[in-house]
Amino acid sequence: MCNTRAPLLLLLLAPALSAQDSALAKLQRRADSLAREWRQATAIADLADSLEHERAVTGRDTIAVGALRIVVNPSPLPLRESAARAWPVIDSFYGTAAQDLAQRPYIIRAFDPDTTVPRSRLHVGMEVPWNVNEEWLVLLLIANVPVVPPDSAMQSWLGGSVRPSIREEQDRAAVYVQLVTAPSQAARSCFQGSLESCATALGLGKSTTLEAWYPSAAERRSLVMTSFTDYFDHGATVGAFRACAAGSDSACTGLLQALPKGSLPRPLGADARATLVYLALHLGGREAYHRLLAGRDAPVGARLACGAGVGEDSLLARWRAQVIASRPRAVALPPWAFLFALGWVVVFAGCGLRSSRWRLG
Amino acid sequence: MFRAILYSQWKWSRLIVLLGSIAGFALPIISLQGAARADRNPLQTQELLRAVQSWGTLYPILATTLGLLVAIATWAPDHRGRHIHALSLPLPRWRYVLLRFAGGVTLLAGPIVAVLMGAVLATALATIPPGLQGYPLALALRFALAVLVAYAVFFAVSAGTTRTAGIILGVIATVIVVQIVAGVANIELDLWGKLAIVILNWPGPLAVFTGRWMLVDV
Repeated sequence: MCNTRAPLLLLLLAPALSAQDSALAKLQRRADSLAREWRQATAIADLADSLEHERAVTGRDTIAVGALRIVVNPSPLPLRESAARAWPVIDSFYGTAAQDLAQRPYIIRAFDPDTTVPRSRLHVGMEVPWNVNEEWLVLLLIANVPVVPPDSAMQSWLGGSVRPSIREEQDRAAVYVQLVTAPSQAARSCFQGSLESCATALGLGKSTTLEAWYPSAAERRSLVMTSFTDYFDHGATVGAFRACAAGSDSACTGLLQALPKGSLPRPLGADARATLVYLALHLGGREAYHRLLAGRDAPVGARLACGAGVGEDSLLARWRAQVIASRPRAVALPPWAFLFALGWVVVFAGCGLRSSRWRLG
Repeated sequence: MFRAILYSQWKWSRLIVLLGSIAGFALPIISLQGAARADRNPLQTQELLRAVQSWGTLYPILATTLGLLVAIATWAPDHRGRHIHALSLPLPRWRYVLLRFAGGVTLLAGPIVAVLMGAVLATALATIPPGLQGYPLALALRFALAVLVAYAVFFAVSAGTTRTAGIILGVIATVIVVQIVAGVANIELDLWGKLAIVILNWPGPLAVFTGRWMLVDV
């Protein structure tokens, strides 16, 4: 009986299958068409970029300091002096990768900040008022190094490109405060010496889920209450938020899981991850940046360890030791403050002594 | 002579000193009440620091209030009696003023010791999260300096005549007026800001009052 029914069923389904096939073909054609459009748009955008780039560099001077190249219009900006100060920082940070900067110039247009004459819009490079000082320019050059950016996985982990910092000691001090104050058991355990927790807190662990980063109910509640009050305390989530505030872990977990992908904060902030990268580059020597960019498929932790030329645990241990050593000074008075304060007491007491009320002759 | 002056000052300002001592003792304990609670979430370190910092603003206020009230109490009876008693004493004037000043300082030792005891007790009783530390001695030392500076400033003002007070107020008013006129005339003159920097930053006289007053910090 079954044998007679099967061909009949196929006969009945044939038009439907044929229609599905044609719909698939139609969708395929639309996808191909969109891909063609996208390629054309990319080509036009590249052409526009190229033309804009030409427009930005035509008729400009080029300042060369080390491998730095700065294409700039004539202006009183102290760019050469600033570049001479920025180059050693950039060179020591990126190592041999800094030599690539000879092919990737800064494009700067200096403008008069005191004029109201409209200027043409520049879509490539940076516009800088020409009355800024050397310090400011050095920071600008260091913060905008046109070095080859890392791949998206590294950028996503780091929260941006790898840039040198001119205040590494303060950065580490800020990380110390994070380790102590972050509402995360992983951060706290890292502070107390667990390297596995350091990896978790830095987002280097194997699992990057809510449960891995914030395993306890108290952490999840604290996260919702401290970081997402404004986000959840209105609209459709207000009920769950109040339940979470009242102590319901399922409500807290539900709220945090409903966050858009990638917006769950890691236990430690981006500056903590940046300090780990600085350390890896420092340990790895002049080839470290190249090694860091290589091996895109490897986990970030392994890439950092490869860049540093040490094991991942060793890198984390050194990072932790460095952060602990950078503990910020508690707010206390400097030793000479006592002398100054007592000095003022004496001065004011002397004023009382010299009051005109007592100068009776 | 010092004992007699101290006794008279004690009679005039004992209420201020007692209330100041109670407030000074209670302030550190109240500021760490959250840390001492058994049900405190150990992950709420930021909240703890924030609470300590908020309560910390009361230390310079207490120091200023104590300095002001004790300085006023030191001179008020002399002012009321037109300084006849002081002038009738077989003492050079400078020595009389020094004794008055020393008497005030001695009385202010009470609130300072109270702050130290309160701070030591509060940090000993509280469960301070790992990574944070208590600074009872540094806080008490700073409070002592602030109280002494405030007392010295108000002692000098109080010892002066109405004319002196008028001159001081006149100078402040002049600065304000110049600043307002400069603002109206669109002249870039930040007299008030510069004055604030000079006074409120080291080695300025009021620098000891500024900054964070933290009993517990990293």
